Amino acid sequence: MTDNLLTVEGLVVDYASRAGTTHAVRGVDFAVPRGAIVAIVGESGSGKSTISQSLVRSLAEGGSIVSGSIVFDGRDLVRLPERALRDIRGSEIGFVPQDPSNSLNPLLRVGEQIAETLRLHKKLSRADAAAEAVRILDEVGIPDAAARAGQYPHELSGGMKQRVLIGIAWACTPKLVIADEPTSALDVTVQRHVLDRLERLAREHGTSVLLITHDLAVAADRADLIVVMHRGLVVETGTAAEVLGSPKHEYTRELVAAAPGLSSDRLAARDVGVGTASEALTLGFGPRAAATTPNILEVEHLTKTFRLKSAGVATAFTAADDVSFAIPRGSTFSIVGESGSGKTTTARMVARITAADSGSIRFDGDDVTALAGDALRQLRRRIQVVYQNPFGSLDPTMSVTRIVTEPLRAFRIGSRSQRAETARALLDAVRLDPGLADRRPTQLSGGQRQRVAIARALALGPELLVLDEPVSALDVSVQEQILQLLVDLQAEFGLSYLFISHDLGVIRQVSDHIAVMRLGRIVEQGPARIVMASPAEPYTRELLEAIPGRRHA
Amino acid sequence: MESAGTSRARVARVARYLAPKIVQFVFVIWATYTVTFLLIHLLPGDPLLAALSVKGGDATTTDPAELELLRAEYGLDGSLWSQYWGHLASALRGDLGISIATGQPVGDMIARALPNTAAVALLALVLGVASSIVVTYFAYIARWRWVRTTLLQIPPLGVAIPAFLSGLVLVAVFAFGLDLLPSSGSRSPLSVVLPAVTLALPVGAIFFQVFSAAVLEAMASPYVFTATAKGLAPRTIFVRHVLRNSLLPSVTILGLLIGYLAGGTAVVETVFSRDGIGRLTVDAVLARDSNVIQGIVIVVALVYSVVNLLVDLSYGVIDPRTSAKLGGAPVARAKDEAAVEA
Amino acid sequence: MRILRQPGIVVSIAIVLLTVAVMLWPSLFATHDPYEGVAVDRLQAPNGTYLFGTDNLGRDLYSRVVYGAFLSLASAGAAVLVGVVVGAVVGLLSGFVGGRFDFVVMRFVDVLIAVPSILLALIVVAGLGFGPWSVALGVGLGATGSFTRIMRSQVVRVRNEEYVEAARTLGVRWPSILFSHILPNSARPVVAYAALELGTAILAVSALSFLGFGAQPPEPEWGSLVSAGRDFVSTAWWLSVVPGIVILVIVLAVNRLARAIGENR
Repeated sequence: MTDNLLTVEGLVVDYASRAGTTHAVRGVDFAVPRGAIVAIVGESGSGKSTISQSLVRSLAEGGSIVSGSIVFDGRDLVRLPERALRDIRGSEIGFVPQDPSNSLNPLLRVGEQIAETLRLHKKLSRADAAAEAVRILDEVGIPDAAARAGQYPHELSGGMKQRVLIGIAWACTPKLVIADEPTSALDVTVQRHVLDRLERLAREHGTSVLLITHDLAVAADRADLIVVMHRGLVVETGTAAEVLGSPKHEYTRELVAAAPGLSSDRLAARDVGVGTASEALTLGFGPRAAATTPNILEVEHLTKTFRLKSAGVATAFTAADDVSFAIPRGSTFSIVGESGSGKTTTARMVARITAADSGSIRFDGDDVTALAGDALRQLRRRIQVVYQNPFGSLDPTMSVTRIVTEPLRAFRIGSRSQRAETARALLDAVRLDPGLADRRPTQLSGGQRQRVAIARALALGPELLVLDEPVSALDVSVQEQILQLLVDLQAEFGLSYLFISHDLGVIRQVSDHIAVMRLGRIVEQGPARIVMASPAEPYTRELLEAIPGRRHA
Repeated sequence: MESAGTSRARVARVARYLAPKIVQFVFVIWATYTVTFLLIHLLPGDPLLAALSVKGGDATTTDPAELELLRAEYGLDGSLWSQYWGHLASALRGDLGISIATGQPVGDMIARALPNTAAVALLALVLGVASSIVVTYFAYIARWRWVRTTLLQIPPLGVAIPAFLSGLVLVAVFAFGLDLLPSSGSRSPLSVVLPAVTLALPVGAIFFQVFSAAVLEAMASPYVFTATAKGLAPRTIFVRHVLRNSLLPSVTILGLLIGYLAGGTAVVETVFSRDGIGRLTVDAVLARDSNVIQGIVIVVALVYSVVNLLVDLSYGVIDPRTSAKLGGAPVARAKDEAAVEA
Repeated sequence: MRILRQPGIVVSIAIVLLTVAVMLWPSLFATHDPYEGVAVDRLQAPNGTYLFGTDNLGRDLYSRVVYGAFLSLASAGAAVLVGVVVGAVVGLLSGFVGGRFDFVVMRFVDVLIAVPSILLALIVVAGLGFGPWSVALGVGLGATGSFTRIMRSQVVRVRNEEYVEAARTLGVRWPSILFSHILPNSARPVVAYAALELGTAILAVSALSFLGFGAQPPEPEWGSLVSAGRDFVSTAWWLSVVPGIVILVIVLAVNRLARAIGENR
């Protein structure tokens, strides 16, 4: 029987608000053995973040621990007086928070934020604490630590800020470190390095780690034990091999199947239900001329440079540099890259939202690079966009029906009742409950909103859909549903997709062709299977290796 | 990290930051002067005759020759255009003309009145800001909900109470009733107290609304969670992490508060019978004394603009994010990640 | 509606409704003639016959307050109306058109805001003559600056929202975007601010009338009632204090409702 550093039993946490009481955690048991890394895996609403906050008794407004015990090193944290708890926080329990961009005080120097906790718990003098802070910065892998210690958070990149936060958590060599989604906001290659560092620190100092994550693949790679949570309850516990190899609970099985890092096949199209035969649905569809070229889209030497002005100083930033590719009809062409790679800029140029500085765009054989006015408007009927952020791309004051029929109104297509019929048919096609037709976006979930966005994009019968990170903001299980929907719709309506994502796991599931972009240039492109299986470029290889879950795929 | 650019480049950068603000400063003062001039001269009635009739009643002269002389004396002769430029030119030289009602130079009248008003205004500002910070602190620290709720009821009251009511009540209680503080006049140093307290209520309440909103936002922010997770005490968190981050946005309403004070002094000086800019303005309007009105508006706009300029400058100093842009230190790009895992 | 459960809101709504009723039908509420006084009854403290007491001419203070309601409040309402209408239109145009037009307009708005509103009102009054409607115009002009700024910043914010860009890619033309997207999403904060400005306008109007620029005596505008009572502060305090408290209560109620609108809608 391993000695458990942390034992949680029967934990129940509620949030009280004006809208009523939410039972975020409904009776949870788990344990963290000494020196082990335990991962709590769950989607939004599972209660995993609430648990991490309960352990340090810093719940958000309205939260309270209703019952249960949290025994840490022999003491029950639930019943400890606040003063005693403050002694434990930071010195025996470290916390790595989720959002590196906002978790550091913007007005304090980085070294000082580490030194603060050293002075408090280890009673070091100012000079000693400052020196120790530099040493810690070096330990977490920040180059030129002495200089960096004197900088402010906004002068550091996301990955570096996260390392500082890790440094703060480990500063007083705690027994337990809680890491709440420590890498969700980071690029995938950075994520890998940060998690490597975390694992190394844990093993070197013998620290127990409680890793909170929504990514089952990350948990599988890094944790000794996995605890799966769903709607406030623990549904399964076990080692990575047990949970992934032989999942007992139905929800776990769903998660394993949906995790993009763990599955490797392209999704196959299934039947949509209502399709091109429906008159109501195709109300806004324009006539389709016979195909003249094999490629629906051909892009050549696209370049875009942005001129930035900060405090009067002008700098030029080349977002896209000599980008060329072609999309065959009815296929999915994906562009994968990290932040700053230029993939979004390229997509916006194709969709004619941003104007290219040079290069050409040919759509269905016609040069559309310089289209303007009414011709451009007519082009819009054939190229549509689905955005990343389901919360931002829908007008919060409009009902679902109004949103979906807006393009029809813009082109004066159909009468009011005809448009309403079309809306119903479109919602049906995207598998959205027609009862939601009168709701506002704020009353829908992220996945539901994205379906509405897709329905809206389909209303005019486009031939090419530009999808900019369409599932990145969604839970994993919902991601899979939307991806399947997109694949089905593509088959039914003969759509071509330009699919942008940073997530190779997602790309793997939908792509026929892949282009890898870095710093504005296409590094490698080709058929999906070939690029994924035998990449030619080292950067592509690095991206592939950074996909979590490869240890178990 | 080396700081980019030589010191000459730095000066150029700071100048580029300052230049638009100084242009705006000049523009606001010029525009205020112009708008006031237009309002006074384009509204029905001759400003000179209006002022003279208030002064002299039926005995006002109507002899054109005399009127011409008077016009020249008060700078109200010639076309509108020449009056406009004439006044502006003199103002730039420091000559704000002669008051039609009292015959004294406007500049002198304002110079005499300004210190009195400034004393009250500054004290009110200090009292108001300090008390709202204290109230916010206790509301934040308070362990019992009822303390917080009670404290949070005070500011809406402070905003809603008319200054003339609170002033009169204070006079009645402290001056007449308890005989502790002077009720009127400007001579005794203690005479500043009651007027300042009267104005401190609304000023503090307005500042509180902005400041407490900033505190609330800071308290809910992730970096305060980090501080809590470090094991810091609530008092330390408030002072070291929350206070500075909340004061920053609150500083921007200083200009607004100055504007409010400039108006509020009119009431307060009337209630407490003090000499000051407010009383001067009221008397000038009652007397239709356009030169005095013009002069006061320019001075007030000047003060307001100076305060705003200072606030803008201080932002560049206090907020490291702004001063970084001035100092030229480039913000690190994400790609230096690659150098890290060497 | 759940909002109605809070006692503060219910009381505030009741006060506002009562005030509107008094404004529109003063004869229903007054007990005596507001202009004619009974000399023998002068300077009486509040009692059964004279609810708020009497002034130095024997006039019933309560009835004077009742009849003064319309004078004191309607001009504040008019001021806010001027501010909202002019400010919203200019702010909408400025934010929507952008560019140099926006720049120039906002510089003038800076000026409007730079001059303290009481000062601005005084200048207008100096030009147009005393009386409640000059005061209303003056206060309204001052409010216009703030409304323009708020409307414009909302319009700029919405213009940059993703759903506006999405509408463009759907082929929606700019006039439709203005009416179906920009206006509905900008309106809410402006309405909330209008409610808040009403309280401020009531205070500004009564301050100006206190200083003597509003309706002239014997009109019972509230500010001038307080001013007239100054001479009697030690002997007949109710003459100044009661109208002042009436103003205070009404502004409290209006502000409470304004906050509720800002938080909920």
